[in-house]
Amino acid sequence: MSPRFKNILLDTLLIGSVLALLLFFYAPIITLVAFSFTSSRVLTLPIEGFSLQWYGELVSRPDFFPAVLNSAVVAAISMVFATAFGTAGAVAWIRYRFRLQSVFRAVTFAPLLFPQLLLGVVMLLWFSVLGNWLGFSTGLVTVVIGHVVYITPFALVIVAVQVYGFDDTLEDAARDAGATGWQVFREITFPLLWPGIFSAAIFAFLLSWGNFYVSYSLAGTARTLPIFVYSGIAVGSSPIYPALATLNLIPALLLVVTAEVFRRRALKRQSASLPSS
Amino acid sequence: MQIEQKSWKDPVLIATVAPLAIVMVVFFLTPLLMTAVRTSQTTQYYRLSWTWNLKIWTEVFSKPHYWTIMLRTVGMAVVCVLLCVLIAYPAAYAMATRLKTYKTQIQILIIFAFLTDAVLKTFGWILILDKNGVANWLLMHVGFPPEMLNLLFSPAGTMIGMVYNLVTYPMFTIYLSLVRIDRDLVLAAYDAGASRLRTFFEVTLPLSRPGLYSGAVLVFVLSLGAFLEPRVLGGGTSPLASELIRQSFETRVNWPLGAALTLVLIAIGALTLAVSVALTMRRRPNQGSAA
Repeated sequence: MSPRFKNILLDTLLIGSVLALLLFFYAPIITLVAFSFTSSRVLTLPIEGFSLQWYGELVSRPDFFPAVLNSAVVAAISMVFATAFGTAGAVAWIRYRFRLQSVFRAVTFAPLLFPQLLLGVVMLLWFSVLGNWLGFSTGLVTVVIGHVVYITPFALVIVAVQVYGFDDTLEDAARDAGATGWQVFREITFPLLWPGIFSAAIFAFLLSWGNFYVSYSLAGTARTLPIFVYSGIAVGSSPIYPALATLNLIPALLLVVTAEVFRRRALKRQSASLPSS
Repeated sequence: MQIEQKSWKDPVLIATVAPLAIVMVVFFLTPLLMTAVRTSQTTQYYRLSWTWNLKIWTEVFSKPHYWTIMLRTVGMAVVCVLLCVLIAYPAAYAMATRLKTYKTQIQILIIFAFLTDAVLKTFGWILILDKNGVANWLLMHVGFPPEMLNLLFSPAGTMIGMVYNLVTYPMFTIYLSLVRIDRDLVLAAYDAGASRLRTFFEVTLPLSRPGLYSGAVLVFVLSLGAFLEPRVLGGGTSPLASELIRQSFETRVNWPLGAALTLVLIAIGALTLAVSVALTMRRRPNQGSAA
């Protein structure tokens, strides 16, 4: 009886810790969603009535759509570059052996170990010198460069997992059948890595979309969505920010779920087809 | 999986490695170098000039004010590491051993929360921690006195925000090293008559050390740059290093000072990283072979 009771207690505590952690993660998000539908201006409980007026207010802010557009452009371009670099980097990390590989690994992983604020500051110091020489000032282009440097290591790690569980007998078969290197890549390697690349791309897009630190240092006078929120809440809180958070959530959730389900299904299929390695 | 030996004369290797390597050298390593170089500038009347001296460093090292803030930053980072590890370990352990059927769903939920805009999440915490906020309202309704918690605009508020934003990292590193542990080792310990507790402390915990350490180092290094949390949730009452850096760039327009302080923080982080890598390297030979 006693050891069995102890087991049950242990299980409850452990599972409880996961539930507590999830509650912790979602507490601010749930709070934001709840307050986005309030009808009053003050953001305190109890919520008095239901209304969608803050969504209207948000959309009618003149600086809202320019910020959305900036964020979307930055996120789309950063996504393309970070995913391409991350994929190439992952193949070089896992499948190749070459001289100076450890240097390559260190340099491509290091931005992940960097506090984002410092990454932004360090790049700002360089861009202002570069801007002096070449005659440009910081703006959306420098934001994109900053995001690519910051996000590429994340994309690299995600794709590397896919490369690691990769069955390369198919490649050999294609090569034996007379396919050229490029054909092998296009017809075999890329389709097999695609789930990893796809979820890396989604990850990269959302990291860039929600990035504040790097953009804050490098945006100059341009504004992305997180900067719009940051400068807004510095002045005073308003229910338009919960409304924005809620609007943010829906497409993001769809993207994350699609990418993860897609990637995991492919990984499972691979590990099932892999004899033993 | 086969591994290909590549020479630098191979165009495939160059095509794969070169673009990323160039981006990282030009936009990551060069900026780092430039930060060091620019500490030799001086500001006068809000204008920068190259003076090629190290005056700014004597200022950094002689002002106790900077060092108080640096020390506080390191202290907060240490506390943040401890809290993150204490919270992440049981949850990661439960995910690796108890909740296998739901692990995909749980991981998606965690990743999704992680990817949500940090500024908005921090704003959400304001709504919770405020004196008239959600936390106090809930506490009042279960019978506690009104306005019991006063966490917003205090170091505790900063800490909640920091743990919130960083706990995901050790969660995943610990989880990954736990699932890699060979189940047979644990079973062997049970067979040999070890209790659950003893097996945990003598088999599982030591074998999960790589994930534990890498998660801890990641949290430490990343929390050195915490900026939103002390500013928004801490209310600027006890500023951390990031605030100092921001001020030297924005308010005082003293870029050399900002560069020097940034380098000090990077040095602290790099040193911690180097020490922890050296420690894990030294430990590796006498560790089990399950990793």
